[in-house]
Amino acid sequence: MAAFLLRRLIQGGLVVLGVTFTVFVVTRIFGNPVDLMLPLSASPEQRAAFASELGLDRPLPVQFVQFAGELLRFDFGESTWQRRPAMEVVLERLPNSLLLIGAGLGLAIVLSLPAGILAAQRPGGILDRIVTGLSLVGLSMPQFWVGLLLIVLFAVTIPLLPTSGMGSPAHLVLPAVTLALVPFARLTLLVRSQMMEELNKPYIRTALARGLPHRRVLVGHALRNALIPFLTLAGWELVLALAGYTVVVETVFAWPGMGLVAIQALQRGDLFLVQAIVYVVAVLIVLVNILLDLVFKLVDPRIGLG
Amino acid sequence: MTTTIRHLLAGAAALTLLAGAAGAQSITIAIGSEPSTLDPQLRDDGGERQVNDNIYETLMARTPEGELEPGLATEARQIDETTWEFDLREGVTFHNGEPFDADAVVASVERIIDPANNSEQMAYFGTIDGAEKVDDLTVRITTTGPDPILPSRMYWMKMVPPGHATDGDIGAEPVGTGPYRFGDWSRGESITLERNPDYWGEEPEVETATYRFVGEAGTRLSGLMAGEFDIITNLLPEFTQTAPKFAAVDGLETSVFVLGTDNEVVSNPKVREALNLAIDREAMVQALFQGYASIAQGHHVNPAAFGFNADLESYPYDPERARALIEEAGATGATIDVVGESGRWLKDREQIEAVAGYWAETGLVPNVQIQEFSQYLDSLMGDGPRPDSIFIANSNELLDADREASFIYHMDGAAASNSDAEMATMIDEARVTTDPEARQDLYDQVFAKGHDLNYTVPLFNLQDIYGMSERMEWQPRTDAKLLIKEMGVTE
Repeated sequence: MAAFLLRRLIQGGLVVLGVTFTVFVVTRIFGNPVDLMLPLSASPEQRAAFASELGLDRPLPVQFVQFAGELLRFDFGESTWQRRPAMEVVLERLPNSLLLIGAGLGLAIVLSLPAGILAAQRPGGILDRIVTGLSLVGLSMPQFWVGLLLIVLFAVTIPLLPTSGMGSPAHLVLPAVTLALVPFARLTLLVRSQMMEELNKPYIRTALARGLPHRRVLVGHALRNALIPFLTLAGWELVLALAGYTVVVETVFAWPGMGLVAIQALQRGDLFLVQAIVYVVAVLIVLVNILLDLVFKLVDPRIGLG
Repeated sequence: MTTTIRHLLAGAAALTLLAGAAGAQSITIAIGSEPSTLDPQLRDDGGERQVNDNIYETLMARTPEGELEPGLATEARQIDETTWEFDLREGVTFHNGEPFDADAVVASVERIIDPANNSEQMAYFGTIDGAEKVDDLTVRITTTGPDPILPSRMYWMKMVPPGHATDGDIGAEPVGTGPYRFGDWSRGESITLERNPDYWGEEPEVETATYRFVGEAGTRLSGLMAGEFDIITNLLPEFTQTAPKFAAVDGLETSVFVLGTDNEVVSNPKVREALNLAIDREAMVQALFQGYASIAQGHHVNPAAFGFNADLESYPYDPERARALIEEAGATGATIDVVGESGRWLKDREQIEAVAGYWAETGLVPNVQIQEFSQYLDSLMGDGPRPDSIFIANSNELLDADREASFIYHMDGAAASNSDAEMATMIDEARVTTDPEARQDLYDQVFAKGHDLNYTVPLFNLQDIYGMSERMEWQPRTDAKLLIKEMGVTE
């Protein structure tokens, strides 16, 4: 176990380093960040002075060595856009993102399990049709549009909830529901098909024939086997959300998360902030993956920690 | 039963109204982007200005219509070609108790022009050499050369308290002399300002103002309709009918195509004239802006700016004449590059594509290139060959025609595409002429020439549209500043 963790942590560290260095190179090779950072009216002299202040006029290898040194000291430099330490900006936004992702994905996971199981009980039945229909609708509607629709419905027409921003639990409801919709749909369809497959297998029929209670067969056997693909997909949804797929929801609901900051940092050519964001996201994704492996082992002891 | 519910609802509504009346002096403003810092001397950022314009003040101010008037200075006079003297208002203090005096002005000027601070606002203050104190309430500002628009520049420079600017965290806790003082900044969510009880001027009506940062236009409108916001910025023209109330005012931006007058096809004056005559600007105003834009009058200078040539008229729409001119020039079938970008300015891509469509009807073959922004900047201001035509929405915060003339008409200007030495001489002269009449005269000549020779294809002066709640009383300003002291709430 300890050996497994150590090995995965080392592997993860290498992944994080690789990603960080790739971002370093890519952001400096494509486009001129100084053009994006300064206003249209800045003179060529101002542009040159700014580039030299940031060290962007030096050869790439020299910049690289300095960057690597700073990375070792966990120094991500100062955000040129916000003029404060880049990591400070990231750590300020991270909890907001985690709150949104936690609520959204939590909702999706909690609802998709019963929805999928119920739908699988009687394929083609009325319940199945409702669940499948809803899932397909959730998958095919653009998040952007769903968000605005929910705002108009539940904040303007029926003034139950605030339109945007954060600050109270009520503010979290609409963004979380909007974010949950797509993962809920994907997870529900997966649970449904997995359960249908399991329920058709001979061991289930045998178990039922032996008189085991229906619920025990369902949860204790069929669901347990369906759980591995479910967790894999849920993990993937989590990674997607962490990687910034929440940006549409953040924009529509003015939710101050990381996705929005990442886009703004890119638009303003804020290299240092982009690097800090990518670093933190890479670390989180590596940790999520390690955690998932451990959960797999817990669910199915046959899985080796190899 | 139904009646009971209706009574209950009516009661609840009355209660809400009462609650609203009690808090009537508080308003909420939704702006498009959060300031990156509240240091008033660093950025050239609309979000920062929308907040700080209420906390900080400048030596010169402007009326809502754009006329320059005294601000923290009671008078400005020119001593010699490169020196201006300002008399300062007496008895003004910063929110933290520091006095506003000549020392504060000197410190503010020196801080902004200090190369170490690398202020983006140097684009406005590049001519300033320094400042010196004459006595406690008199200060002189010197320029590197004659600078007739120094007072306009001082309308853009916010005065900071020297002590707090050195020792305090001015980027997070702004301290000015203005009618509102900083309350709270909850990053990512909101900024709150409170009325300054010790303000030297008239006491404003609104007690507290909260700014919210909402990037998405549809969400801003929803918040307005749900009663969460009192003012929202950048209301889209198509939403004016949906908003409870709105107000539109001529903005600072003018869209224009700069023509490469040395390029093969476009060097022919007939072709350039045809490019101007081919466009049905009135139709574009209606179709793209629902009427909320004014047609630029033959040049791309803001009508509120000094130097605007009031004698010029907009180009008429005459497609037959345009086609005939292209034929006369032998340019039928010739390709013309139409360079632009997308997403930086209101309906930029739509304007570019519509114009290219009109140009195609003259017999020319437009080649539209929508470029990625840094590539576009390189096309606009780089050293490479000038494009046949390039789109830009030019903004003039100083409300002085020097910006338009130097940037686009002067042959050495960063975004200029002509090699007219005579015009450049006139612009250079206007830049250092201190007599307003002589200066206006020079600009009149410059823009008349630019108009007659069709150096540019001026399009529209865009209007800024604000959505407002029913209870708001406010007339937006030409200079796009959101001044809470000019706002009122009825109830």
